[in-house]
Amino acid sequence: MRNSVRGSVIAAGVGLAFSWQVAAQTDAATRIVEQRPPTLYQKLEKLGPGGPAPRRDLLGSWTGPLEPQLGVAPPMTPLGEARYKLNVPDPFSAHSNDPWGTCDPFGFPRGMTNETRGVAFAQMPGRIVIMTQYGKIWRSVWMDGRELPKDVGGKGGPDATWYGYSVGHWDGDYTLVVNTNGVDERTWLDRRGYPHSLDMRVEERYKRVDHNTLELTVTVDDPKIYTKPFVVATNRYRWIPNQEDEEQLCVPSEMIDYIKTIAIPAGQDQAVGKK
Amino acid sequence: MQRRRVMSVALVVGCMILSVPLFAHHGNVAYDTSKAVVLKGATVTKFVWANPHTFIMFDVKDEAGNVQHWSGEAGSPSSLRLLGWTQSSLHPGDLITVYIYASKTGNPVGRLNRIVLADGTELKDSALGYREVE
Repeated sequence: MRNSVRGSVIAAGVGLAFSWQVAAQTDAATRIVEQRPPTLYQKLEKLGPGGPAPRRDLLGSWTGPLEPQLGVAPPMTPLGEARYKLNVPDPFSAHSNDPWGTCDPFGFPRGMTNETRGVAFAQMPGRIVIMTQYGKIWRSVWMDGRELPKDVGGKGGPDATWYGYSVGHWDGDYTLVVNTNGVDERTWLDRRGYPHSLDMRVEERYKRVDHNTLELTVTVDDPKIYTKPFVVATNRYRWIPNQEDEEQLCVPSEMIDYIKTIAIPAGQDQAVGKK
Repeated sequence: MQRRRVMSVALVVGCMILSVPLFAHHGNVAYDTSKAVVLKGATVTKFVWANPHTFIMFDVKDEAGNVQHWSGEAGSPSSLRLLGWTQSSLHPGDLITVYIYASKTGNPVGRLNRIVLADGTELKDSALGYREVE
């Protein structure tokens, strides 16, 4: 009796813990237990902490899950709603306008919220460089005390860019805080198609929990589009013991080939439906 | 006995639910995943080892002897590499057997379950290859 009660508690606990995911389930998933091969990230999860985190040091290559945990956006402003309606996500849909569908740069923060299998940090004079494996992108995070540029995109100000302008500082010995502005409005926050304005500010907090674990929180503050700041994504990375990265590129000619050969004949657009 | 049953249910439900975020990465709703179509004697015409999805083009003769031009997609190179695929797994002219979930449109296109090479090597898709088919 006691055993069956304990079993029920476990069943209920498992159900509750993951109940938020049930809504996303498909009929196929309810019938069959999926067994994908473990990713590098999943394999490395088993390695444990690997000792204490070194002080003020994230340098090296890390691997993350395929996709991070995405946050819930707050209500949008009327401008935000209007902009959001224009974005049709899913590059696998033939009529999507997802920049991914033409292999445009993800830009920022999408580079940290989509396809997150690999990230690396390097030191250069006056700055830390954050590199994302997907697309082989690098961003300069200035650590020399400078301020973010003002009036980006305005007269006399610097141009808006796909990845914006970033400055960083350490909060204590284990958390790198990166602040970014000046991101081109063509980029999306994530694969869901959330928009942003040129006024957006983004804060990334990289917390090295132990030698093998890095946690990331990405917070967006864009009052023109969202009624309050929100965490757009949280993620977790594991130290790669042999430090080898993979090449992951979105190649426009291959994407065009894919859409012509697979997406359109398969009727993916009709099947996934418009947002 | 009852305990074992409840524990099994907990385990199965937990695994099912945990599997969903992976499953949801790129949708497969365009395909009829209730049954895999088996295409024997398929001749590879093109193999595109690319992000976001790898795909194979191949020719198959129907019962009347007419050649049908098929295309089938699978996961990304990063995912498929974990299952033994490489850039050189397939070449034009290779003879393979294809297990594929066809498009609901009826067009000769689909999502792979697995392919079997002439030497018997099985290469499974990273998303739907876990399904056992006859």
